[in-house]
Amino acid sequence: MIFHIDKNAKKLKVEMKSLIWVYLLVFVVLKCLPSNAFAESSYVLPYPSAMPGSIFYRLNLIREEILRYWYFGDFGGFHFNLKQSDKYLVEAKTLFDYKQYLLAHKALQKSDKYFGKIYPNLLSAKNNGKNISEKKKVLKRAAQKHIEELVKIKDDAPATFNWTPEKEKPTTLNIWESIDKSIKLRQKRL
Amino acid sequence: MKIVTYIFIATLILLSVFTYVFVDVNIVYLKSLYTGYYLTHRLLLTLFYGILISVLFGCFYFYIKNADKFKGSLKKIIILVILVTILSYPGALTFDIFNYIITAKVAFFYQENPYIIYPIEFINDPNLLFTRAANKTALYGPFWILVSAIPYFAGLGNFVLTLFSFKIFIALFYVATVYLINKLDKNAVIFFALNPLVIIETLVSGHNDIAMIFFALSAFCLFFKKRYGLSTLTFMASIFIKFATLFLVPIFIAMAKDRIVGKKINQEKAFMYSSLFMFFVFLLSPFREELYPWYATWFIVFTSFLYKNKFLQNLVLVFTFGLMLRYIPYMGTGSYFGITPLFRNLLMLTPVLIFLIYSWLRTLFQRS
Repeated sequence: MIFHIDKNAKKLKVEMKSLIWVYLLVFVVLKCLPSNAFAESSYVLPYPSAMPGSIFYRLNLIREEILRYWYFGDFGGFHFNLKQSDKYLVEAKTLFDYKQYLLAHKALQKSDKYFGKIYPNLLSAKNNGKNISEKKKVLKRAAQKHIEELVKIKDDAPATFNWTPEKEKPTTLNIWESIDKSIKLRQKRL
Repeated sequence: MKIVTYIFIATLILLSVFTYVFVDVNIVYLKSLYTGYYLTHRLLLTLFYGILISVLFGCFYFYIKNADKFKGSLKKIIILVILVTILSYPGALTFDIFNYIITAKVAFFYQENPYIIYPIEFINDPNLLFTRAANKTALYGPFWILVSAIPYFAGLGNFVLTLFSFKIFIALFYVATVYLINKLDKNAVIFFALNPLVIIETLVSGHNDIAMIFFALSAFCLFFKKRYGLSTLTFMASIFIKFATLFLVPIFIAMAKDRIVGKKINQEKAFMYSSLFMFFVFLLSPFREELYPWYATWFIVFTSFLYKNKFLQNLVLVFTFGLMLRYIPYMGTGSYFGITPLFRNLLMLTPVLIFLIYSWLRTLFQRS
């Protein structure tokens, strides 16, 4: 009996050793092969900027209002709204990571607001005789990237969140519902 | 004396005709004028350019040597110079005028901010075929963009008309600058108005530096007349055309200080320092891009008032000649790389070195 157990253990040990070698070989081969570790979309989102609560965040809000006038024109509006939509999406993602759901939810709504304004800018440009083919491609790539990020956010975020402010009625944030709405908005531009 | 003027004007006529050899194949509006000689006869054209420039500078040297004899006919000569150069093709040596046009188009036709929208974003715009800086946002100050609306709209949407509207607009600044110099000091006019570099870069190539110079000089004139508010405004206008005149701020501060203390302003000293400061900015330009010949107008205008210093004016004359030779290597090779940068600098510095050695030897001989 003892002998039988020993034999089995020895067999198991050999099998384990071979498995480790196979795993190592697969690992080395996979490492050597060119890997596709890039995001699906080539569109690059900006770094997170100042977050709510910081003095710079308030300054950024003022800057945003000034820039609105600096970015006049159809293409100017396109660039401005896309930039802001990107910025607030990154802000939302960061805040979701830190479980600041209320602020994240607000940032996502802002991103949606700006994203919704992009296409009307392009339509206006088209009506003014401007070629919008390249801009449409950029918008498509941006929408793809946004959707990628929104899906990731949804994976980690709770479906709902109950927010209870001091001396006020609690509010339920339908986070998944909001994210789905954001995804739908962007899917229109694919 | 008249023969020099005949040679000068005839050479300018030849130069104006010569510029059309460089009509770009992509300018569909001037297709009938395209010859392609600048691609097939490079050496011949370079030689011809060298001769034209040498003759022009030779005449210019004669003009400043005999300035007193030409004073009476100067007005006529300047009018002739403008008339024979205004119809030249501005894209022979540089392409900046096309940038002015496309920047104005972005602002006034497409109604977009030229500081954030690249011209290249307007796919299928016919100007993109020949505009070299289409991948850059506006390179000039906001005041220039604002005033460029005048020639842009005067062009009535026709490219050729717009091109020559810009040239006429620039020529008007040249006339106004010459008028101001004449008002400040009659003896200073020849050195600026008949300098081949000023003529070619302003009246042929149509660079907007002359607009910046005009407003800076207006600021000086108004300051001397104690109209400080207007002087400040025109000075700001100058800065917001091309920013280089920002370096004149210390001069204005020093003049204001003299006024406050009750000291009389030494105009010659003010122009000497302005010339030095603008030369300093000119020398800094390679840090930004490169030493462009037309940047020399920044200090030539102030040097024109320093006619008592013959050595300085001759040095500037020789240097401007060297600067105009900078076009030769590209014209000859068709490349901005390889030996071109080295040859450009050699050609620019050789006349200066020869002049300095000649002056030094002359002084030595005079002493002995």
